[in-house]
Amino acid sequence: MSNTEKVFTANGVTCIVPAQGERRTIFENLEFAIAPGEIVDLVGPSGSGKSSLLTAFARLNPHTTGSFALDGHDSGKFTPQQWRHEVAYLPQKPILPGETVAEAIRLPFTLAIRAGAVEGDSQDGAATAAGATTAADTAAPHRIGKVGLGRRFVALFRNNDQQARKLLTDQKIRMTLDAMGCEDIDLDRPPHDLSGGQAARVSLARTLLTEPKVLLADEVDAGLDDENAEKVADIMAAAASGGMAIIRIRHRPPDGRAFRIVTLANGILSEQAGKQA
Amino acid sequence: MTGNAYDIDIWGLLVALAMVAVAAGISELMRINIGKTLLWSACRALLQLCAMGFIIGYVIRANNVFLVFAVIAVMLVAAVQITLSRAKGVPKGLAGPVLLSLTITMLLMISLVTELVVRPHPWYAPQLVVPLTGMLLGNTVSALAVGLSRFYESMNERRDEIDTLLALGSTAWEAARPSIVSSIRLGLLPTTATLASCGIVTIPGMMAGQVIAGGDPLEAAKYQFVVFAAIAALTLVADSLIMAMVYRTCFTADDQYKPPEMR
Repeated sequence: MSNTEKVFTANGVTCIVPAQGERRTIFENLEFAIAPGEIVDLVGPSGSGKSSLLTAFARLNPHTTGSFALDGHDSGKFTPQQWRHEVAYLPQKPILPGETVAEAIRLPFTLAIRAGAVEGDSQDGAATAAGATTAADTAAPHRIGKVGLGRRFVALFRNNDQQARKLLTDQKIRMTLDAMGCEDIDLDRPPHDLSGGQAARVSLARTLLTEPKVLLADEVDAGLDDENAEKVADIMAAAASGGMAIIRIRHRPPDGRAFRIVTLANGILSEQAGKQA
Repeated sequence: MTGNAYDIDIWGLLVALAMVAVAAGISELMRINIGKTLLWSACRALLQLCAMGFIIGYVIRANNVFLVFAVIAVMLVAAVQITLSRAKGVPKGLAGPVLLSLTITMLLMISLVTELVVRPHPWYAPQLVVPLTGMLLGNTVSALAVGLSRFYESMNERRDEIDTLLALGSTAWEAARPSIVSSIRLGLLPTTATLASCGIVTIPGMMAGQVIAGGDPLEAAKYQFVVFAAIAALTLVADSLIMAMVYRTCFTADDQYKPPEMR
């Protein structure tokens, strides 16, 4: 991986949280970059700000500042929704709203950013299996810029559920889950009934199906048994081989899949090579 | 007014007050400890209602358009204050949105119900406009207070879900929508319940008043329906308006979730 072809870069990332009337600096002026298809593990003691760093990358954290770029485009040119469409944060706790697993997985496609964007050309948007992501080049081109007021008003009355069903059919979800080794997950069951490991995989599948360029996985394998953790790691490795850049927060011992391991401690990011380079 | 009304004299008021006093006394004996509040509230209500009666009487006799709107303005300000004091867990600085949403619904009420349905002469007929505004505000105030409390409570409860939705690319509106829907539903619950039960379980206050004052019961029923229908519709309008105006307080300019301590 040469330094020039980074998909995502971050500069001057700072996190200051208010604590008991004071302002506490968690980290300051961090730099980070990742190439397409790369898996980077982010480790460090708890409380060092690993999650804050990832949520900062997704522009989800109100306590952080910094400048970010995707394929050389500054994050300021994206709306927050367009940015998170490409730089997807996957929270540790799987939250799966919806009556059924299928509905929970389809949730991202009911949102205006996807349901509104791909009217007509519904085949290619979500068509590629998450395991074999053909990167976003073939999918709908980057949409950068402001969303008009008229469009937002129309979105209020659009039935996004039907649109989502077209964008992501049950069949397609089934195929993807099977390809991920999730044959054990029944699409018609309520998400409540899933085991912890199943819920983690469904949550991962949901984000992977949205085909982000950068996946920020926040301790997705925490609380899973070794077998499930291995499955989750396999799914992510497959996505990376399709070109997705993945940053994983991990507490488990290295599993040999990371290209690099980055440690965040006392506000400083330090790097060592992964087991396989 | 119509002649065959049965007036209440000063002894009538004293009897009513005595009833409250007896009830309060019994509750004290039973150590329910609500007697003092009950008696105090009853005295307050008597004073407030008499004052209101005086003021409305004066406004009706003066029959002046500016006076009518001055009274309505005072009612609006009081309504804002009551809404905000009843709503729990809401951030500061909501007085503006609440006043705006109450004012808009009040103007809609006056223009639609008064000018389209009743068409009084003069158009600002105080005996119609002031009580109508009062009834509307009474209803919207509680709907807004319940709706606002529920909205912020729900936004706090759904924190993880909202973060997940935002991470998946939802707009602030899409992330807040379930909370908005549930708060509007809760705020409207009493209104729909009243609509469904009136005439069977209860004779609504306005209709009862007209009947007691010697009005034709059918006329009174028609009046009551128009007022109820308008109040139900406008309460929904008021609740939707306030939600559209305040849901952003839970998000930063970058569509990030703002925790309660930052609002």
